[in-house]
Order: sequence, then C-alpha cells, then structure tokens
Amino acid sequence: MTTYRFVVKVNKSSEGLMKQKDIRVLVIDDEKDFANTLAQRLKLRNLKVNTAYDGEQALIKLKGEEQDVVVLDLKMPGMHGMEVLQEIKKTYPNMQVIVLTGHGTEADEEEVKRLGGFSFLNKPADIDTLEYKIKAAFKEKVDRTLSASTFADNNQ
Amino acid sequence: MENKGERDLRLLQLRFIGKILAGFTHESKNYIAIVKESAGLIGDMIQLGKKSGDEPDAYLEIIHSIEEQIEKATDLFRYLNRFSHRMDTELCTFNVNETLEELIALLTRFANQKKISLEKDFQQDIPSITNNPSLLQLLVFHFLEEQLTGLDKNSSLILNTSLSNGLVVVKIMIKGNYLEAESEKKPGTDNKIHVYIIDQLGGTIIKENDLISISLPVLLS
Repeated sequence: MTTYRFVVKVNKSSEGLMKQKDIRVLVIDDEKDFANTLAQRLKLRNLKVNTAYDGEQALIKLKGEEQDVVVLDLKMPGMHGMEVLQEIKKTYPNMQVIVLTGHGTEADEEEVKRLGGFSFLNKPADIDTLEYKIKAAFKEKVDRTLSASTFADNNQ
Repeated sequence: MENKGERDLRLLQLRFIGKILAGFTHESKNYIAIVKESAGLIGDMIQLGKKSGDEPDAYLEIIHSIEEQIEKATDLFRYLNRFSHRMDTELCTFNVNETLEELIALLTRFANQKKISLEKDFQQDIPSITNNPSLLQLLVFHFLEEQLTGLDKNSSLILNTSLSNGLVVVKIMIKGNYLEAESEKKPGTDNKIHVYIIDQLGGTIIKENDLISISLPVLLS
C-alpha cells in the first residue's frame, strides 16, 4: 500500500491576517482642515482613522487607544514631530510612523529613518501612494508582532 | 568695500528674507495641500462613496473650504508682494501700521509654532512717515525673532503704534516668561546691529524690562 503524505505549509505571515478595515490610523497634523480632509479620504478607503492636532494630544490619544500606523506632520506648535516620533517608537516599538510633511529636508528624512520612521512623504502626497504606504506599514507591524511572539514561543 | 556694520546688515537682511520666504512657502504648501485633498475628497465621494442623497450639501461644504483656502493664500500672496516692494526704494512715504501688519502676517506662522501670540494694537490715525520701510521691518523683525527664540510658550508679543511728541513710536510689549537658557539675554541683546539700523532710520530705541520702544521722525532729516 502506498501512503501519500501531503505537507500543507501554513504561512504564518501577515498576508493572511491583513484586512484593510482593521487598520487603525492616527493622522497628526496641526492644520485641522488638512487632517480632517485626509482622514475622510482614508475612511472612504475602509481604514479606521482618528485625528490629533498636536503632539501632546496625539500621545494622549495613543494611551487611550493604540494605533497600527501613525501619519505624522513634523512642524507643529509645541512638540515637534521628531519628538513625537521618538516618543512613539520608545513606548510602542511596533507601531509604524509615516512622516507626511510640507517642509521636510534631506536631513529631516535621514533623521526620521534614524529614529525608526517607516516612511517619509512630502505634502501634498498622492492618496494612492499614502494608502499603499499605510498598508505596507501595517504589514510591517504585523510581521514584527508575529516574529516577536514566535520568538517568545520558542523560548518557552 | 563694505564696512562691518554694512556687512552685518546685509547678512541680517538675507536671513530675514530667507525666513520670510521659508514661512511663506510652508504656508502656501499647506493651503495647496488642503485644496488638493479637498478636490480629491470630492472625487472619492463620486467614485467610492455610498449614495445617500446628502451629497450636494457635502460637496458644497468642501467647495466652500476650497474657497476659504484660496482666500487665505491670496491674502498671504498680497502680503508677500507688498513686502517685496518695500525694498524698491530706500526712501519713501509709508504707513507704519500697514508695514507692521504685513510683518505680523508673514511671521505669524513662526509665532504659532512656538505657541506665542503675535498681536497688534495700532493707533489708527498716526501720520505716514518718510523713511526706509524695509529697514524698519528688518529692525522690528530682529527684535521679534529674539523674543520668539527666548520666550516660553503661551507668551505674547504685542506691537503697538502711537504718535508721541511728533514722533511715531513702535512699541514691542513682551508678556510671558523666558526659557531658562535664554533668561540671561532679555530683551534685545545684539546692540550693535540695532544701533546701526536705528542710526540709518534717524530714530531712537529705548529698551526696558518687557518693552522695546522705537521712535521715528515723521520726516527723515
């Protein structure tokens, strides 16, 4: 009798886990009109979107409800975007941050990378590009969370 | 060859123009970004939105927001244009209030970034003066920039104008606390360049605690 063995590989990657309507996005920008309009556009693309109009407010919102991806302006009154980025990566290392700024320099872009930012876009950005980056950032977050939990499982 | 005073003045003027242009381009980019997103939102609503019958009102609201952004941008362009033309001639007759109003409009963004309010309190019937408007803006900018660097958030800077003893007086009133690192330097530390500019304007400067007072003759002799 011949025995056939089928090996079904379960791909424990983010692909199967990703649903756009589950992606929580926080848009942080001091230009309220911009933040609100962008949030509306992203909601129409089935993302769960919140807004904050300065860094301090954003960090309070994040304490209340963790997000998957943050879209962050740099030049804001009070706390600068770089400080916000630093704080987010310190407190929520897996949360992904996309910087969207109207005034970014090459040095800013370098600094964003150094601080662990996921991506750097200039305003006004193409909405499809932003949506693509948000999905990629979410995938990165899920992958990181999964590999962290796999590492923890293997060490038990 | 330029002397040191002239050289310092030119450097300060370049920094001034650079700062104004940086603020202007940033602000303009913001307006354009909002217009772009608003137009995009209308497109999204047509292509992706669920039909509910409320669309016309929503479209009108977005169109109104676009018009508002265009109006704000137009005001900013007008201020920058007037500011640029201040440099056309070294001596002309001008309204000090208008000159300062333009400066406030172009510097408000920097003040907002620091959470410092920039306010005006102008005497409306002061006479026009004959002098160098660009140099006056530079002097006031220099003082404001020092204060914007030194003051802590929630402070305010009030630009006041009045006519006193036949002189037009511009006062910068400072309300608030200085950041710790800056507290030793208040107010107006770079005296040499101030003296150089005020000499050219034929006026005087008095600095007291929390007040800088610039007096200018109506006619430059």
